[in-house]
Amino acid sequence: MSQKRLQSWADAGTSIIVGTVDAEGIPTCCRAIALSTKDNFDTITVYLPAATAQETVANVATTRRVAVSATRPLTHESVQIKGVTRGVRLAPPSDENFVRTRLHDFAEVLEAIGLPMRVTNSMSHWPAFAIDISVEQVFDQTPGPKAGNEIA
Amino acid sequence: MIKLPTIWRCFQGVIPSLVASSDATGMPNITYVSQVYLIDDNHVALSCQFFNKTRRNLDENPNTTVEIYDPVTFQAYRLRLRFLRSEKSGALFDTMSMRIQAIASHTGMEGVFRLIAADIFEVIRAERVDGFLTDAPPPSQAEELSVGGLRTELRGLQLVSERINRADDLETLLAAALDALDVYFGFHHTIVLLNEEQANRLVTIACRGYGGGVGAEVAMGEGLIGTVARERRVLRISGLDESLRYGRAVRRSVLSDGGKSRPEIPLPGLPDAQSALVIPLSVEDRLIGVLSAESRDPMAFGEWDEAYLGIIGNQIALGIVRVLEADEPIVDIAPQPRAPLPAAVVPPRPRRTLTYYKDDDAVFLDNEYLIRNVPGRILWKLLAEWKQGGRTAFTNRELRLDRTLGLPEVKDNLESRLILLRHRLREKCPEVQINSTGRGRFALEIAADLELVER
Repeated sequence: MSQKRLQSWADAGTSIIVGTVDAEGIPTCCRAIALSTKDNFDTITVYLPAATAQETVANVATTRRVAVSATRPLTHESVQIKGVTRGVRLAPPSDENFVRTRLHDFAEVLEAIGLPMRVTNSMSHWPAFAIDISVEQVFDQTPGPKAGNEIA
Repeated sequence: MIKLPTIWRCFQGVIPSLVASSDATGMPNITYVSQVYLIDDNHVALSCQFFNKTRRNLDENPNTTVEIYDPVTFQAYRLRLRFLRSEKSGALFDTMSMRIQAIASHTGMEGVFRLIAADIFEVIRAERVDGFLTDAPPPSQAEELSVGGLRTELRGLQLVSERINRADDLETLLAAALDALDVYFGFHHTIVLLNEEQANRLVTIACRGYGGGVGAEVAMGEGLIGTVARERRVLRISGLDESLRYGRAVRRSVLSDGGKSRPEIPLPGLPDAQSALVIPLSVEDRLIGVLSAESRDPMAFGEWDEAYLGIIGNQIALGIVRVLEADEPIVDIAPQPRAPLPAAVVPPRPRRTLTYYKDDDAVFLDNEYLIRNVPGRILWKLLAEWKQGGRTAFTNRELRLDRTLGLPEVKDNLESRLILLRHRLREKCPEVQINSTGRGRFALEIAADLELVER
């Protein structure tokens, strides 16, 4: 996958979910609100609502390993990013507008497929934890024969 | 722990669920699953459609977490699961497989995506994700049928049953049944298709809420309706749009990989249907047809609708068999000469030309296709006898005895062919009508100067 196409997964309007596992091998999942990268996916930052991410934050503090999936809801195109946590922090106030805008953009996409914007916009999103991740592998996760192929 | 039946809406497949798993080394995996299937209070099943990472992880680490969403409130719930086993056959597998087969068939992906296994999990814990929504809805309560609602529906069942039993011809029976489904049960978009066994297809014989569509055909095994007919099992799909988007994603992936597929099958009814309930109409082991209901509401059909539509479907199937197989009265109708109308009341009559093309077995009206095959041959026979001797009264029995029409000796579906013919004439040629004059009898009514051409 070209760098440009890979970069597009940090664009607005994608559904972002995060998987982690605790020290006992019990996995959990959490819906994230936003994903950003400043270095073409060498590292990424995912923003998770503080209200729902306690378990995820506890997991990455102990096991550090993270799986992040980004999906375009209209087409089911999807990638999965596997990596290692570099750090977890409470997102600074300067990121609030970015997170809020991403939720709004996601709500617009879901409205196009029938979920009213007011419903999506009612998702908790702030305060948020920011998890910084070193990307190790990126996989195609679009349903079909190529799902699971490593693309970066 | 939340009782799973109280959050039944989450299990309808309207909003994709999240599945987190982990391999033996502790590397997590996160993905979506189109439907989490509720088995009982303590067990759920996930569909395994591809041998993917989640599936491999289950063999290494049976612990899994699923996040599901209420499609009405968007409230999230997390289920802590332990993988028990995979089932590759049996009732559960068949039920889950049916939905996937139907979507795969509809999107031209038969065999490419299919249910490999139903993965069964024990639910260790089910919890509401507190704080997921800023304006959280109250905790879900199991929806119970009100006595008033139940009485209304039972009354509806009784009325449908009465109407079906009273009908003495197929057209009346189906019109009455679909009308009652609309009025008493709120099924505003319904279709009945009859099984044309010899042609391996289903033909739309009645519909309501679509503004036409009689005569539309569905091949056995194709799309939602064809799959139900082939499998002879009920299909209930909520969030149809989401399921089709998933199927199309697979299709695009296959095509971009150099694979081939046939075109997508257009939905026979609503282009923007969000849910569908399709039931086979069977009597003993014989498939009579299919009853399909659609809605733009993704949550329109629940288990209760499936149950009572099944009862009504059985009534309709028995009713169809009754009217199709009823002994017809032996009525000898002598050809009657045309009685000329008094000149003073004769209205101006349009001129229409009907042409029968022998090679194509088709009748055209003023160079536009009208009807073909058996219904076309029936029309041509009636018109020819009218032209020769002015005959207008006919019986089903004589059509059955006429070998030139090519009706099969058993299960000839003559009634349904006459309904098709009537509908086509109403739509395309209102000057020529076939109207019932009693059980097994009908009259040809002509209000045009007809030129009949045979080629």
